[in-house]
Amino acid sequence: MKKFLEWYPIYLREMLLFRRKLFKLGYLFSAMVIPVIYLIAFGLGLGRSVQMGRGNYIDFLIPGLVAMSSMSNSYSWVASSLNLNRLYFKTFQIFIQAPISPSSIMIGEVLAGMTKGLFASLLTIAAGFLTSSHFTVTPLFVATLLLNCFLFACLGIITGMISKSHEDTSTYSNFFILPMSFFSGTFFPVDKVPLSIKAIIYIMPLTHTNILIRKENLDQEGLLSLVVLLAFVVVFFVFGSQLIRRYNE
Amino acid sequence: MIQVINLTKTYNGKKAVDAVTFTLEKGQIFGLLGPNGAGKTTLIRMLTALTKPDSGTCTVAGFDVRQNSAGLKKIMGVMPQENNLDRELTAYENLLIYGMLHRVDNLHRRIHETLGIVGLSERKDSLVSHFSGGMQRRLLLARSLMTSPRILFLDEPSIGLDPQIRRQMWDIIRKAKMDRRTVVITTHYIEEAEALCDRVAILSKGKLIALDSQDNLKAQIGEYLVEYVDGEGHLVQHICQSRSEAQTVAARCEDGVTIRKSNLEDVFIKLTGERLE
Repeated sequence: MKKFLEWYPIYLREMLLFRRKLFKLGYLFSAMVIPVIYLIAFGLGLGRSVQMGRGNYIDFLIPGLVAMSSMSNSYSWVASSLNLNRLYFKTFQIFIQAPISPSSIMIGEVLAGMTKGLFASLLTIAAGFLTSSHFTVTPLFVATLLLNCFLFACLGIITGMISKSHEDTSTYSNFFILPMSFFSGTFFPVDKVPLSIKAIIYIMPLTHTNILIRKENLDQEGLLSLVVLLAFVVVFFVFGSQLIRRYNE
Repeated sequence: MIQVINLTKTYNGKKAVDAVTFTLEKGQIFGLLGPNGAGKTTLIRMLTALTKPDSGTCTVAGFDVRQNSAGLKKIMGVMPQENNLDRELTAYENLLIYGMLHRVDNLHRRIHETLGIVGLSERKDSLVSHFSGGMQRRLLLARSLMTSPRILFLDEPSIGLDPQIRRQMWDIIRKAKMDRRTVVITTHYIEEAEALCDRVAILSKGKLIALDSQDNLKAQIGEYLVEYVDGEGHLVQHICQSRSEAQTVAARCEDGVTIRKSNLEDVFIKLTGERLE
């Protein structure tokens, strides 16, 4: 196997495990239950009485739900499985004891997280097509989705590596992922929130995903969000790789 | 093959491995003998680049474990004490992933060979979670042999195995030695150390307290033991340097006296004042 493909066995392992879990109803159900609940509650319930400028609320909501779903699934599956593999099943040891680079481990795990996040996002996209006649998927939408999955899979690695117990991963999720789901422009536009809160909101990467994923073309605001997302990707990727490099039992 | 100098590791203020120093020649089976908590597994983890030592140096096959662990990882096979197989993958898939990580040539053929060595060919497509504990240990051993490593680290390889499977595993380990592989094995089974090891290091509370061939270790304490149970039900032991001395001692003792050759457990008890298990 070529050196640049060192990540592939790690990705393959995750996919073999994913394939087995996929056929379990609970696994599939858990991937789509939250976005579908939000779609029904906020989109079809509350959303019928909300007008968003020229469009329907549901047209605004669906791209946000796709972003949220890709975030939470890419993140949580990576963080949870890495944490379990490291602390309980000890399967992470075989990566550390293999003659491959820490960045290859990082790439393999992140691509696996992306795949799982994209799978969950596709379910949300399908639900979007069923509930909105105006919902479209543009090349920018796809690129943003891929970038978001990559970014949050990297963050999942960081959480999976620093958590000292499986409960810790839930704590990190409650502190970072859950607030981001609600305050980063998934359910309401962030340009109308008070200035004092705005600064915090614009630090959150999901805010920029939500800006970018709703654009039809890359304008100046979109470009800025793209740069912010790329900066987060670089920082999270480098930090995650360093954590793997410094792994010590 | 291995040179360890003053290797030390501390966890929560307690020294798990305390300034351990030894060298090991190529092609030997080297045993690390000690009770649970003696520091055997920590030592193996440092030798296999899983745990970073606090101080000291460790060179394996010319590779400094701290500076060039990548070189070491290409030539070593590791069988951990804890089962780190993927339980939701089949035996074949476990070896496939491992083989790909280590870039094993002719991978599919090699997987079949190693499964054959440990007698698991028929179960290659079974999930590991459906395996018995003994089968999982055999698969771990197969995985460690996948890369035809120059040096093999086996951490309590036969723990939890029934006697028949344990002996099969010993045969595989002896075969590895015949193939000129160096084997480092940790165990707290006297029988295992005596059956396999050319040299034995005795560890207690993180310290290396003795290291030599089995015969030399036994000769240090005396080759024969005279044992009997006294009137109060206590086991009394006399260590003797020769059989004639043992017979003389036995003649002075009560009925029910036995004379036997000393073993590594006697060496351990003599050196530490504790029992192994």
